[in-house]
Amino acid sequence: MKISASVFSLFAVGLMTATLASGQTRQTIPRTADGKPDFTGVWAGPGFTHRVGPGDTDTPRVSNFDPKNFAPFKPGGEALFMQKETGDVLHDDPTAKCLPDGFPREVLAPYATQILQYPGVVIFLYEYMHFFRVVPTDGRPHPKDVELNFMGDSVGHWEGDTLVVDTIGLREWTLDATTNPATRYHSDALHVIERIQYTDPMTASYRITIDDPKIFTAPWSQDFGMKLHPTWKLYEQVCEENNRCEGGKCADSDAQKSSKE
Amino acid sequence: MKKLAILAAGALLASSVALFAHHAFSAEYDATKPVKVTGTVKKVEWSNPHIWFYVDVKDESGKVTTWGFSGGPPGMLMRRGITREVLKVGDVVKVEGFRAKDGSNNASGGNVTFANGRKVFAGAAEDVVPQ
Repeated sequence: MKISASVFSLFAVGLMTATLASGQTRQTIPRTADGKPDFTGVWAGPGFTHRVGPGDTDTPRVSNFDPKNFAPFKPGGEALFMQKETGDVLHDDPTAKCLPDGFPREVLAPYATQILQYPGVVIFLYEYMHFFRVVPTDGRPHPKDVELNFMGDSVGHWEGDTLVVDTIGLREWTLDATTNPATRYHSDALHVIERIQYTDPMTASYRITIDDPKIFTAPWSQDFGMKLHPTWKLYEQVCEENNRCEGGKCADSDAQKSSKE
Repeated sequence: MKKLAILAAGALLASSVALFAHHAFSAEYDATKPVKVTGTVKKVEWSNPHIWFYVDVKDESGKVTTWGFSGGPPGMLMRRGITREVLKVGDVVKVEGFRAKDGSNNASGGNVTFANGRKVFAGAAEDVVPQ
């Protein structure tokens, strides 16, 4: 096992930076060979409560955005954002029919996330509905013509030890899981910035900035936490397997499998 | 030791108002219609997106009604130490949840209390759990 001098020096520089930045010796965070923080692993993301201490369960919790963080609405913005329930589940909560939750709602889902990190790319594997995001970190910009879709187009870069991911190209869709009395929607102009940074070798801070110029007068942010779980693995999560009760109708026809004996 | 582990698991679940929703609670269940029944587990469907379990409930006249309850997703429960062995056919359970909007005998799983008083599972969806 030979560790190259350059890798070692990068590692050492990283350690020194961490020490200087915090003003005290910080526990060593995992780093890749190129010296970047290494987020590889299975994480309990923002969709968990991160209690610390005895009984720490990392309880799954559907996280939502807190109105206290919102920027003021543009004229007409609130009507675009808070869309009243219609009784049509495809509008009120499309995930009840196993349609995608989309980004950024996927990040807030109470399921695990696996991160794989390689030079020039960070890959997010989401347990919930088996979505993924492949985020190039090689300096490329967003494509000129971005097709609007559920997960958007993401590019990343490093600001010191912070992984910054910039996402556009999102179709108008539910912003989070808030549905009652109105469903929160974002517009097709949504631009999201995520900032992920280790706070210690097992935890990271996750700041998400919502920049939706059709709805809000300014970008706004919310902070969440993430915790590494070395013993976890991603479980299969096939929404269509035994889905029923969508839209409050619990008919057998809604499910792939009959509830009858 | 085993008993301790079970107790710990039960405590974790009971102390939680966790939600396992794959979609909004309010789209399916009526938070103004709590359901509290005691009966015998007839069938368990350990599958995504939520487990389902069916409970036979006998009324005063002896008539049996089967209630269907939606719990958490299997992965979420397994991650927390709750395997399919915890909820078995034949178990007598008290289940508290909220009735489906369509008025059928289906409900959110809510809290499950076993005959020995052990309480497992927390909310099936969102943080709407009967108080």
